[in-house]
Amino acid sequence: MTMKLDPRTKLVMVLCITTLAIVYNTPGALFLLLAATIGLLLLFRINLIRVMGYLKPYFMLLLVLFLAQCIFTPGGEVLLAIGSVRLLGTRGLLMGTTVVLRLLIVIAAAVLLTTSNSRDFISGLVQWKVPYEVAFMVSVTIRFLPIFRDEFINVVTAVQLRGVELKKVPWGQKIDLFRRLFFPVVYGAIVKAQQLSVAMEARGFRAYPRRTYLRQLYLTRWDYGLILVFPGLTLLLMGLHMRLV
Amino acid sequence: MTGRDTYIREEAQYIPARSSIGEAGAAFLELSQVGFSYSGKRPAVLSGINLTFAREGITAIMGPNGCGKTTLTKLMVGILSPASGEISLEGRSLQEYTLAQVGRRIGYVFQNPNHQLFCSTVEEEIGFGLTHLGEEPAVVRERVDFYLDYFELSPYRDQFPLNLSYGEKQRLAIAAVLAGEPGFLILDEPTVGLDIYREKLLEEQLHKVAELGRGVVIVSHDNKFVSQVAERIITLENGQVKWDSSWRGNNDHEA
Repeated sequence: MTMKLDPRTKLVMVLCITTLAIVYNTPGALFLLLAATIGLLLLFRINLIRVMGYLKPYFMLLLVLFLAQCIFTPGGEVLLAIGSVRLLGTRGLLMGTTVVLRLLIVIAAAVLLTTSNSRDFISGLVQWKVPYEVAFMVSVTIRFLPIFRDEFINVVTAVQLRGVELKKVPWGQKIDLFRRLFFPVVYGAIVKAQQLSVAMEARGFRAYPRRTYLRQLYLTRWDYGLILVFPGLTLLLMGLHMRLV
Repeated sequence: MTGRDTYIREEAQYIPARSSIGEAGAAFLELSQVGFSYSGKRPAVLSGINLTFAREGITAIMGPNGCGKTTLTKLMVGILSPASGEISLEGRSLQEYTLAQVGRRIGYVFQNPNHQLFCSTVEEEIGFGLTHLGEEPAVVRERVDFYLDYFELSPYRDQFPLNLSYGEKQRLAIAAVLAGEPGFLILDEPTVGLDIYREKLLEEQLHKVAELGRGVVIVSHDNKFVSQVAERIITLENGQVKWDSSWRGNNDHEA
């Protein structure tokens, strides 16, 4: 049942989850949200072990982000210090955990989108009167997520094949190395996007309003139910959160 | 090319003596009954591969598109792991090595240069491996200058590698790997995007590498290039070794 949900329903669900991830700012609430998102993925019968393997290359970036937040966020009680140099404070630890949990929620929610074909996203959004250009951009963005991952894997493999033992590089150098590698990865993805647009235009692609679609998507009762329940629940949780804060 | 001539004379000093690299003729890389398939898909990309590479001479791997040439080279450097069989490097299982340890023994030029260029400038790209292996800055500079000059990349020294043309990127990828002076080289389709003159330069360089007691494996569709550089030719078909010219000296049998 769940796998047959309309892509628009999934998009609404992901929007609600990511909105909550941005609104919540405590590790406890974010952890519960992550657990709920993972529960949703299990409901969609997504193989989590396979997803974990797929996301493995990103974990190093998450760790770097966590450490950077821990070290560079001032305030709170000092937990670790060398002499008078403060290394870790309670606020830094809190910020680091919050940022990482937030990213994990966004990534887990995005996995939901991979259960639908990108073409279905376009036709679904167009049926909702979203301009074709915007719908196409959304679909290309989804398509580019694995490209970022592949670019990153390629770069990390290439670096190691030049004899650099990444695991043994001291942390200071490692952060600097990843910072430097980030730019070519992003640039490589931009170049690919440029090539994609040129290739499409060369084949006469244009977002004409008269464009027709063979496949029409229909929302089922489940879709309508979830499209109402998810935003409603999100608003309710946001209201509760505002009150508590 | 004065820079190149000087370097050719002085190059020997960068290369470990053959005795320290390993005995020539002995098995450097050995594949035994190696099979591989992507994500458990059938049919297998490679099956029953038995090959031995010594750290000498130039070997070419040929075969039609999709016969598993690139997969075979990726298995040889440990980017992929075999589904069956065993690969050993210098007598030890390849799985015991990290990718970096393999990288220090085998230089690998990817089929697509975009997959291996990651530095901000051409100069940095060539010197990256050497710098991170702790070479003296003077040695790094000298070797970078030589390869910039040899592959005629000097005008692009400060440019962003991914902005170069395909042929320039290919030259840079080859230069960056050669600069590390690995004992064994694997080049996947190195002549794609090279003009005849640059192809000749690569040919000369590969001969020179082989003369210095290092093994070279090239994957290529370029018959002319292969016939000019390779001493041994392996042909793959449907994921299996169809022909290996080294069999000639060994009862002249065919698979």
